[in-house]
Amino acid sequence: MEKKILAVTACPTGIAHTYMSAEALEKTARERGISLKVEKRGAMGVEDELSEAEIREAHAIIIAADTDVLESRFAGKPVVKVAVAEAIKNPNRLLDEALAKQPGVKQDLLDQVQQTKESRSAQRSGFYKHLMTGVSNMLPLVVAGGLIIALSFIFGIEAFKEEGTLAATLMAIGGGAAFALMVPVLSGFIAFSIADRVGLAPGLVGGMLASQLGAGFLGGIIAGFLAGYVALALKKYIKLPRNFEGLKPILIIPLLSTLIVGLLMEYVIGTPIKWIMDELAAWLTGMGSTNAILLGLILGAMMAFDMGGPVNKSAYTFAIGLLASNVYGPMAAVMAAGMVPPLGLFLATLIAPHKFTKEEKEAGKAASVLGISFITEGAIPFAAADPIRVIPSIMVGSAVTGALSMAFGATLHAPHGGIFVLPIPHAVGHLGLYALSILIGTVVTAVMISILKKSKV
Amino acid sequence: MIITEILTKETIHLHLSADSKTAAIEQMATLLSEQGFVSDAQQFVSDVLKREESSSTGIGFGVAIPHGKSAGVAKPALAFAKFEQPVEWKSIDEKPVSMAFLIGVPLEQAGQEHLKILTTLARKIIHESFRDQLLQATTPEEILQTLQF
Repeated sequence: MEKKILAVTACPTGIAHTYMSAEALEKTARERGISLKVEKRGAMGVEDELSEAEIREAHAIIIAADTDVLESRFAGKPVVKVAVAEAIKNPNRLLDEALAKQPGVKQDLLDQVQQTKESRSAQRSGFYKHLMTGVSNMLPLVVAGGLIIALSFIFGIEAFKEEGTLAATLMAIGGGAAFALMVPVLSGFIAFSIADRVGLAPGLVGGMLASQLGAGFLGGIIAGFLAGYVALALKKYIKLPRNFEGLKPILIIPLLSTLIVGLLMEYVIGTPIKWIMDELAAWLTGMGSTNAILLGLILGAMMAFDMGGPVNKSAYTFAIGLLASNVYGPMAAVMAAGMVPPLGLFLATLIAPHKFTKEEKEAGKAASVLGISFITEGAIPFAAADPIRVIPSIMVGSAVTGALSMAFGATLHAPHGGIFVLPIPHAVGHLGLYALSILIGTVVTAVMISILKKSKV
Repeated sequence: MIITEILTKETIHLHLSADSKTAAIEQMATLLSEQGFVSDAQQFVSDVLKREESSSTGIGFGVAIPHGKSAGVAKPALAFAKFEQPVEWKSIDEKPVSMAFLIGVPLEQAGQEHLKILTTLARKIIHESFRDQLLQATTPEEILQTLQF
């Protein structure tokens, strides 16, 4: 079979070397009859972007770049990596080296998980992409803030109310600062994703207002989209004489977009969204056990359905958002349910070893580590190999766990951390029952898979 | 979109004498600022030299393409010079440079068409026939003609 070579060229300015090195490689490849495609990452954006399928089929990849080229998408592929100038100087040698590479070795589970995550974020588009840009930039704040708040609970759940204590300081860092930035950053980066740099200011301000008005994460999401599209529209439709063009991004767009978004949040959007959030929070905290179980079932099943995909992230985002409104039950249910799929698969490889290949049994061990760390993606390789049996099994297990967690009234103040937050005193409400709910879901998943899967003999 | 929007007869110099890379860049930047492409020559030169520091733009074959994205550039611009004596440029093939393109791009959003021209130029330089035409050209008009693409 003909060896297909791929290349990526990039340089800091993105005007000259990116294109010269691409031309040098393309010219040489043409002369030698080598199949080559070059992705150019320059000032005009990305041209001839390499698709996932092309990367999969490629024999080797040449990276001639002095800047970042999203290298992780080539994980497991042979790569020839040089400075961009090298491709201009020695295109022949680079092609020789690429052709001489041995095909990539089989990847282990962790690589596969990593790769799936990367390609998912690359494929996101439109509404979902903007939302996820906001969420993924918000998450570090939530994780840091949540865990620091959990640390303050070590001194007792009310200890932070005593001024001047370490507990109070931890609460000020986690709750007063990190959590206070949550909604503004969510909103700011949604707007950033839509309108680029000019979106950030109105987005942050809109999110801050949403937060101050009590409109919570829902208000933040709306503020982010509003800010992004307002800034984008201003960027596009305001025309200025050439001499004043420089004022646009630095003065005119920030001023107008922030003003528009701010006024709309204050006078139009804020109040009804606050009402919705208040009602939602009241319903969630006051709901009867039937509704609680139902919500847990749905959130749990969502967490397992696509293991880190859009449905999973929707459930997770919902639970995270509620932390900002002091509602902690769904967070507990979601994390527990997210831990179950990899754990359940690990258990299945132990109780029904004859139904798994040797590689899968190895992968099961890695999955157990991912499971206790609340990385649902650990289940993906199993689900990819046998979706019809695996996905229903993990959905049922996770749904059971979610429902139990809600029924037991378990709460979770930290947004991530898996098993590692459980020992922190007071971070989890009803700790024993919470652990039990995870255990039951894990067993349910494992048993169901063991029954459904056929023997590998 | 035509090349004359970013390169004019006045920004082509076929007999430039410069005893160093810095001197060559300074003189070419002066050509651009005289024609109004560059608003702050000092700023532009310093940005171009900063780019040279990270890695030489001498791309071999006796050609260099110093370039910079700079606040000192008013609109996308190109200057071309052939040197009376070859200039040492620390090129990747270690040979001195006998002709150079100086590229200026403004900091704030240069138009896509202008960028297209510059990137097309970068691609052309790789080809020997294109370089030969430039070397043989004796008047600015001929240079402009070679660069019509």
